[in-house]
Amino acid sequence: MTSTPGSFLAKYIFSTDHKVIAKQFLWVGFAFLLLGGTLAMLMRWQWAYPGARVPLVGDLLFSHSGGSISPATYTALFTMHGLIMVFWAITPILIGAFGNFCIPLLIGARDMVFPKLNLFSFWTFALSGVLVVAAFFAQLGPAAAGWTTYPPLSTNIGTPGWGQTLMVAALFVTGASTIMGAVNYITTIIVLRAPGMTYLRMPLTVWGLWLTSILNALFVPVLASAGLLLLLDRLLGTRFFIAGALGAPGAGDPVMFQHLFWIFGHPEVYILILPAWGIVGDLLSFFARKPAYWYRGTVLAMVLVTLLSGLVYGHHMYIAGISPLLGLGFEALTLSISVPAVILFANWLSTLWRGSIRFTVPMLFALGTVFVFGFGGVTGLLLGTISTDVVLHDTLYVVGHFHFTMAAATFLASLAAIYFWFPKMFGRTLDTRLGVIHFIGSLVLITLVFGGMLIAGYSGQQRRLFDPFQYTFLRHLAPLNRFTSYFAFALGATQLVFVVNLVRSLAFGQRAEANPWEVSTLEWTCAPSPPPHHNYETIPTVVRGPHEFSDPRVKVALGRDWLSQTEEFPAQAASGEFRPS
Amino acid sequence: MPFDASLDGHRIDRLVHVSLVFMIVLLAVMIGWMVYACLRHGRRHAATCDDGNSHRAKILPLGIAGFVLFIVDGNLLMNSTHDMEQIFWNFPRAEAHPEAVRIEVNAHQWAWDARYPGADGKFNTADDIVVLNDLRVPVNVPILFELSSVDVIHSFYLPSFRTKIDVVPGQLSKLWVQAQKTGEYEIGCAQHCGVNHYKMRGLLTVLPHEEFRDWAQEASAQSARAYDLADRTAHWGWDWK
Ligand SMILES: [Cu+2]
Ligand SMILES: [Cu+2]
Repeated sequence: MTSTPGSFLAKYIFSTDHKVIAKQFLWVGFAFLLLGGTLAMLMRWQWAYPGARVPLVGDLLFSHSGGSISPATYTALFTMHGLIMVFWAITPILIGAFGNFCIPLLIGARDMVFPKLNLFSFWTFALSGVLVVAAFFAQLGPAAAGWTTYPPLSTNIGTPGWGQTLMVAALFVTGASTIMGAVNYITTIIVLRAPGMTYLRMPLTVWGLWLTSILNALFVPVLASAGLLLLLDRLLGTRFFIAGALGAPGAGDPVMFQHLFWIFGHPEVYILILPAWGIVGDLLSFFARKPAYWYRGTVLAMVLVTLLSGLVYGHHMYIAGISPLLGLGFEALTLSISVPAVILFANWLSTLWRGSIRFTVPMLFALGTVFVFGFGGVTGLLLGTISTDVVLHDTLYVVGHFHFTMAAATFLASLAAIYFWFPKMFGRTLDTRLGVIHFIGSLVLITLVFGGMLIAGYSGQQRRLFDPFQYTFLRHLAPLNRFTSYFAFALGATQLVFVVNLVRSLAFGQRAEANPWEVSTLEWTCAPSPPPHHNYETIPTVVRGPHEFSDPRVKVALGRDWLSQTEEFPAQAASGEFRPS
Repeated sequence: MPFDASLDGHRIDRLVHVSLVFMIVLLAVMIGWMVYACLRHGRRHAATCDDGNSHRAKILPLGIAGFVLFIVDGNLLMNSTHDMEQIFWNFPRAEAHPEAVRIEVNAHQWAWDARYPGADGKFNTADDIVVLNDLRVPVNVPILFELSSVDVIHSFYLPSFRTKIDVVPGQLSKLWVQAQKTGEYEIGCAQHCGVNHYKMRGLLTVLPHEEFRDWAQEASAQSARAYDLADRTAHWGWDWK
C-alpha cells in the first residue's frame, strides 16, 4: 500500500482516505444541521407568536419587514428547512460520514474501492452546498415552493427568482454526488470484504448502508431527472409541468412531477432510515451483550423493506387525483410494510430481553431511536389508509409523523453513531455525563415537539400556514402551538450541550483505547483508535459473525463475554458441543 | 378533530378511533417490553446467549407481524375500501339524487371562485350564480363539486366534512359531501400555493332548504344583472362532466 501522503492539502482537504472524507461530510453535515435547526426555530417562533418581532436576531435578519417574519420569508423558511435537513444534513451525516467511515473499516478493507471517486463525491457535494448558501442571497429570496417543490408553484409562475433555481440546481448536483457515493459503497461491499466476511457475517450497519446505497443508485436519478426537467421549465420556457390557464395550449402535467418526486421520495425515507436501523440493530446487541436476535430475520426484513419501498409511493398522492384502483393498490402495499417493520422491532426488543444491558450513551441513543421510530411507525397507519389519510393529508399530523420517522429517528441514530464511533474516529472519548444530559433532553423534547404537531394536525391544522389562526376552527390551538414552540426552543438549546461536549472532547477528551466498548467487529478489534491510513496492517481474516457475546464457554476460557470476529474459538472450550455460527 | 357537520364523517372518525386503539396497544406493548427489559435485564443481570435462530424463537416476531397484517392492516384496508367505494367515491349515487346541488370551483391565488348553474341547470349561462369564497348549500342533500385551478395546485379542504381534494391546473377534481347540520363551516386551502396560502380561506354556509332557495333566486338574479357577454374571463365555467 502507498505511504501516507505528505502535504496538508493532500492530507486534510483533497484526501482520498475514506476516514478523512467521512469527517469532511460530518462537519459540513453538522454545519447544515445547525442552519436547518435555526430555520426551524424561526418557524416555531412564527407559530407561537404570528407576526411578532423576532427577538435577538429579528432586526438583523428581517430588517425589511420591521424585525418580524413576512409571509414570503416564512415560505422560504419551511422550504429551506426541509431541503437542507433532508439533503444537506441527514444525508451527509448518516450516509456521507458514517457510510464512508464504517464501510471499509467494518468489512476489513483498506479504503473504498474507488478512492478518487469518493473524493470527487465529497467535492461535488460541497459545490451543491455552495449553491444552497448562494440561494439565501438571491434576489426575491431563496426557494419557497416547499421541500416537495411541486410545480407549477416551483416554476416561474409561482416562484420567480434565482433562489428557487439555485436550489433545484443544488438538488441536481447533490444527487450526482449521492450517486457517485452509492456506486462506490455498493461496489466496495461487493468486492472488498475481507476473507471470511460473508454477507451474513456483515454488521447490520453495513447491511443498512448497502441497501441504502442500492436505493440511492436506483432512485436518485429519478429525482435528478425531475429536477432537470423543472430546470428546463424555469430556464428555457419548456412546459413539462405547467398546465392550466397559464400553461395552455400544449400543456404539461404537474402531477407527473409528483409521480417522479415520490418514486424517489418514498424510498428516500428508507434511504435515510436503513443506516439508522442497521446501527441500532448492532448497538442493541453490542450493549445488551447478546447476539442480535434472529440476525437473518433482521436482514431479511431490511431487504424486504428495500424491495417494497419502490412500490408504495402512491400513498403520498391519494388526494392528487390518481385513479381509485391505483390508490387501493398502493394502500395495500403500504400497509404490508408493517410486516418487515414488526419483525425488526420484535428482533430488537428480543435482543434486549434477558440481556445484560450496559446503558452507555450510544446505547441510550439507540434505545431512543427505537422509541421514536415506534411512534413514527404506528402513527403512519392513519396515513397509509386512504379514508383516514384524506382527512389528515397536508396537516401537521403528517409533519409530526414524518418528523418522528425521518427526523427524530435518523437524528438520534446519528447521535448514537457519533457517540459510538467518536473514539475510533478521533482517538478521544466524549464525556459521558454531558452525553446523558443531551440524551434525556433530546428524547423528551423531541417527543413533546413532534407529539404536539401530531395533536395539532389531528385537530385539523394544515401545514405551512404563515398564520394558522386566520382560521376560526384553529384558533383554540394557539396555546398548543405556543407550548410546542417552547419545547422546540428547549430542544434547540439542549443541542448546545452536545456542541460543548464535542468541542471539549476533541481538544481534551480522554485518549481512547482500541476497543473501549468491548465489541466484536473489526474496526475495534483489529485497529487502533484512530486507525492509520489504510486501516489494517494486514487484512484481517474473519471467522464469525459480528455479535459474539456472552457465550458461557468463552467466559470460562477467556474471562470475557465477547469474541472478536477474527478470533478462533478458544481450543479448550472447542472440545465441548460448541456450534459455530 | 374539528366539529363534524357531515352525514358520513362519522365513518372516518370511527376508523380513526379504531386505529388509535391499535396504535396505543402496539405502542404500549413496545414501550412496556423495552422498559421491562431495561429495568430487569441491566448490567447486573447475566445475559443469556440466545441468538434467536431456533424455529421456536421466530414464532414471536412472525406471530406479531401476522397479527398486525391480518387484524390491524386488514381491518383498516377493509373499512377504508368500503367507505371510499360506497360513499366518498360513489359519485353516481350522489348524482342520482334529484335535488343534488352542483358547484364548479375555480381556484386561483388566493381565493375560491365558485359557480352554480342557476335555474336552467347549465353552467356558463347568464343565470349562473357566481360567488367568491362564500359558498352556500342546502342541508341534507348531496353537494357535488367539480374543481380546477388556473395557476398552481391548491387543495380544497373541508375539515368539518372530513374530506379534501387537490385542485390541479389542467385537471378536473371531483368531490361530494352532504351536510347534516346547518351552520357556517370553513373552507381551507391545504396545499402550499404561495405567499398568501394561509389567507385562502372560504366559507361554506349550510342553510335550511327554503333559505337556500331564496338565496339562490336572489343571487341568480343579481348575477344575471351583472352578466357581460363580452367579458370572456368571467365565463370560466365548463360543461358538467
Ligand atoms: Cu411514503
Ligand atoms: Cu391555495
